[in-house]
Amino acid sequence: MEILHQFGVNPVLLIAQGVNFIILLFILKMFLYKPLLNVLEERKKRIAESLKNAEEIEKRLQETNEKIDVMIGKAAKEAQKIIDESRKEGVLYLEETKERAGRMAEEVIKKSKEAARAEALKIEQEVMSKMARIVAAGMEKVTGRILNNKTQREIIEKSIKNLS
Amino acid sequence: MESLVVLEAEVLGHFKNLPITNTLLASWIAMFILAVVSILATRKVQLIPSGLQSLFEIIVDFGYTTVEDLAGSKKAKAFFPIVMTFFLFILFSNWLGLMPGFATIKFEGEHFLRSMNSDLNMTLGLALTSAALTHAFAIYYLGIFGYLKKWFALNPVFLFVGLLELVGEVTKVLSLSLRLFGNIFAGEVALLAVSSIFAFVAPLPFYFLEIIVGFVQAAVFAMLTLVFMVLLSEKHAQEH
Repeated sequence: MEILHQFGVNPVLLIAQGVNFIILLFILKMFLYKPLLNVLEERKKRIAESLKNAEEIEKRLQETNEKIDVMIGKAAKEAQKIIDESRKEGVLYLEETKERAGRMAEEVIKKSKEAARAEALKIEQEVMSKMARIVAAGMEKVTGRILNNKTQREIIEKSIKNLS
Repeated sequence: MESLVVLEAEVLGHFKNLPITNTLLASWIAMFILAVVSILATRKVQLIPSGLQSLFEIIVDFGYTTVEDLAGSKKAKAFFPIVMTFFLFILFSNWLGLMPGFATIKFEGEHFLRSMNSDLNMTLGLALTSAALTHAFAIYYLGIFGYLKKWFALNPVFLFVGLLELVGEVTKVLSLSLRLFGNIFAGEVALLAVSSIFAFVAPLPFYFLEIIVGFVQAAVFAMLTLVFMVLLSEKHAQEH
């Protein structure tokens, strides 16, 4: 124990240092470890949470993308269908229109032919009657008399035949 | 020239039965500084750390993961504050002992301040506290019978081993205290010797050395305390 004395070991001082340590332990526990460990824990929790959130967001994004792809595919198909249908319809309409136009044109042509024929007939008749009258007048002048209706007609017909 | 260094810490005065030595004063200053710094660091704890808070977060986080790795997450909660306090207390007092004013200012013929761990009283006090806490944890975790079973057994061979381990416990305290004391005291002596040869620039390398030694010794003390705690509070591997 002599050596301990040489080092100046004093039980009171040993106890004092022990007390020092315990006091410091409590001070640091209260002011350093507890708040810092709490904040570290909280940060860890936050990071885990945000990582989870990010994962979820990613998942949702992928889902949305898939949905959009499906929708776009559907829309494209539909659009193609619409285009095909309208093309078919267009062709059909065109043919129909052509047909109708053809028919109309034919009709118009027919009608105008008929009209022309009728006109021609009318003109012919008119010309004939006028000519008959002219011929009759000429005959009257030439023969000096008025032929009866019967002979008049005969003469007219004969002269027309000669004329034509 | 009178003896350059004294093993015994100088007594500055008495408070009733308590001799106020310069090392005790230094330990109080170290405690005070540590307390103030830690209060400053955690005055406004933010989730996004800055300044002092982030520095201490790094230290505390590193310490906690180290303790957790060795002791498991359950015991880490109990061991960590003690181990960390040992580390910070010893580190701060070691580095404080390198500050100017230590071993230079005199008060009534004695050095006013002296590095805390260059007094065996202080290191032995820490080592005894460490041992007492270690054994307290062992009793807490193993129960009083489990604890006694570590030292005493009916089997004569194990009884002998137990007795040896009991001696080992005393040695642990001695080695813990003497290692710290020896390192810091030797550092003081070396600094004093070099300074007395040439006081300018020449002691600088020794100061750097002492900074490292101060850190290493603090880490060693804390780690050994941790290891002792883990070992002693573990159940015996083979129980019959």
